Amino acid sequence: MKRILPVVLLLGLPLAAQEIKMPPGLDKLAAKASEVVDVNLDGALLQLASKFLSDKDADEAHVKQLVGGLKGIFVKSFEFDEANQYSQADIEEFRAQFRPPAWSRIVSARSKKNGENSEILLKTDNNQISGLVVIVTEPKELTIVNIIGNIRPEDLRDLGGKMGIPKIDVGGAVKQSDKKNNDKKEDEK
Amino acid sequence: MMDDFEKQIQQALQRKDPSPFFEARVLATVRRDAQARRARWRMWWASAVAASLLIVTGSAWQYQKIEHERIAGEQAKARLELALKITSVKLQKISHKVEQIEN
Repeated sequence: MKRILPVVLLLGLPLAAQEIKMPPGLDKLAAKASEVVDVNLDGALLQLASKFLSDKDADEAHVKQLVGGLKGIFVKSFEFDEANQYSQADIEEFRAQFRPPAWSRIVSARSKKNGENSEILLKTDNNQISGLVVIVTEPKELTIVNIIGNIRPEDLRDLGGKMGIPKIDVGGAVKQSDKKNNDKKEDEK
Repeated sequence: MMDDFEKQIQQALQRKDPSPFFEARVLATVRRDAQARRARWRMWWASAVAASLLIVTGSAWQYQKIEHERIAGEQAKARLELALKITSVKLQKISHKVEQIEN
């Protein structure tokens, strides 16, 4: 028993290290939200999804390569009809988990005019990226992305215009050519 | 000498009555053989039917498993695309916002 216990603890350690506690009131938010997106893709599901990405299609092959180094993708996004539906205290509590030296905030953009607050946080282990968290809070929208594994934010950003992902023009507008391209891809699906 | 030999032949070729119940024993043997042949055929047919059923059931199970995996895979791919779409759009917006602030 004495021998087994440290092994069990060691096996549980990587999982515990990667686990990020979501804001406590997040589940209740779904009831208030007009649109909810909740995507939970663990390692096994990511591998399964990868199998269905074509090697012949350049975009899908690129995504397959990106996803190959990941252990999990978790996205929670809420859109509300009215402003201030979620608690800022919950978000602050959530943010408090990402402390240096493991985590570093690489981008923090605040807009007083729109009430928008965007953050990109990176986790590094031995000079290698091992996690990425994106928090975007807007008066009527809350989005939290947690990606476990080795991926650079710019790799994900540059997916715009590929695989039906819209490419955002400067100013936040979706590029017409890309939109057409995306719509065509959606139709083909 | 010759007479002895002839006698021996005559004795050997002399008609003998079959032992008691000989006919019944022969008929029983024939019946037993026929029953054994029928049992072998029945066994063969049963085995063939069982093997066919096994192949059909196995193929159906395999097909269902592949189909189940395909549906799960397509669903996982769709979820991955949605997750990447949300993430990419948010990162693009943040990137533009940062560019605007820097300029």
